Amino acid sequence: MSTDHIAVLKVREALLVTVPSDPEDATVAALQEQVLRAMERHAGKGLVLDLSGVETVDSYFARTITETAQMVGLMGGRTVLAGMRPSVAMTTVQLGLLFPNALTALDVDRALDLLATPEPDGRRP
Amino acid sequence: MMRRDVSQQTTEVTAEEWVRRKEFVGFTEQDAQWLRELRPAADAFVGDVVEELYRRFLACEETNAFFPDEAAVARVKALQTAYFRGLTQGEYGEAYLADRLKIGRVHQRIGLSPRWYMGAYALYAQLVTPRVLAAYPADSVKGQRTLVALLKLMNLDQELAVTTYLAAREAVISQQAREILEIATPVVQIWDGVVAAPLIGSLDTARTQQFMERLLERVVETNSSVALVDITGVPTIDTVTAQHLIETVTAVRLLGAQVVLTGVRPVIAQTLVHLGVDLSDIITRSSLAAGLHVALDILKLQVTGKRPA
Repeated sequence: MSTDHIAVLKVREALLVTVPSDPEDATVAALQEQVLRAMERHAGKGLVLDLSGVETVDSYFARTITETAQMVGLMGGRTVLAGMRPSVAMTTVQLGLLFPNALTALDVDRALDLLATPEPDGRRP
Repeated sequence: MMRRDVSQQTTEVTAEEWVRRKEFVGFTEQDAQWLRELRPAADAFVGDVVEELYRRFLACEETNAFFPDEAAVARVKALQTAYFRGLTQGEYGEAYLADRLKIGRVHQRIGLSPRWYMGAYALYAQLVTPRVLAAYPADSVKGQRTLVALLKLMNLDQELAVTTYLAAREAVISQQAREILEIATPVVQIWDGVVAAPLIGSLDTARTQQFMERLLERVVETNSSVALVDITGVPTIDTVTAQHLIETVTAVRLLGAQVVLTGVRPVIAQTLVHLGVDLSDIITRSSLAAGLHVALDILKLQVTGKRPA
């Protein structure tokens, strides 16, 4: 997957990014760049990362996503990880990789609902 | 049917193991030779021995029960004759091993307890000893050596039988252990968007792993926002178990759902506090019912009584 193919879509008030199945380091870095630029351009309320296609995660991915969530937070948005697969969740927990600044949702739909609610209602891993 | 599956799975004794066992009891090629030479005499007295053996079996209530009618007796007598003639066949390699293991499995399958099986060998020894010695009237040394060779071989046969019993028993035990692992972690949907998992028994690493897997899969399958994990059936909790629970809760959160830990009994609450386990991040309740209330709150649902029409 080439870095050019990260698409940042604006849906309602939020930004939506579908993360490729086996994200390489360069892809994840590019994702951060593009997301932050889009945040600036659209003044989005938040970021939804659709992880439903992701099959593997590593510590670089976890760290970059955590940092991105923190940066999005500084720019006034919330980050929601949507649709993580059970196997990925298990690996993540077993490797001790946490996403402390991100909210989670079962799917993109619920992630958008979550961002639409004014006060953040928990679900921090 | 299940028994058959179990006995077919067992690979009790390998060819190398069989060689080592023969070495251990000192069963040599010379012994095989003595037994080959005994064959004509053995064929002459096998009929007597088998008749006498079955007179004893049929006289005993427990063993009698295995022979429902005359036809059955005739059939097993023929098998017994074949077994005894096998002892003097002269070749004791892998084919012999396979045959003896098969015999062991058959006895295990029909549920004949090892004590009767072993007892039968004692009877055999008593019946065979005078007859073997009598076969060599002129050479008592050869008679004794032949007898010792025969007893060694019968001893090896007994070992194989015991091994078969144990292997079959162990296969049953491990299958049951697997089944317990399977049934002990059901995850059921109890409301739209709510699954419940009653944990029963102690939580070791293997079970937690499996439980976590199942719970996460069910949460996604049923698209549930809340998972109630009920630990009423967990007898005790230690730091490792608590850690496992925290991992499970964290994994469920990563999916975008929430865990409510229910069934925290007084003794469990005491233990957790004394151990210094921090569960303040997790919603906990003392009963599953209280947990369901929390779940409905999270889903912003309200249960109201029906008005009379």
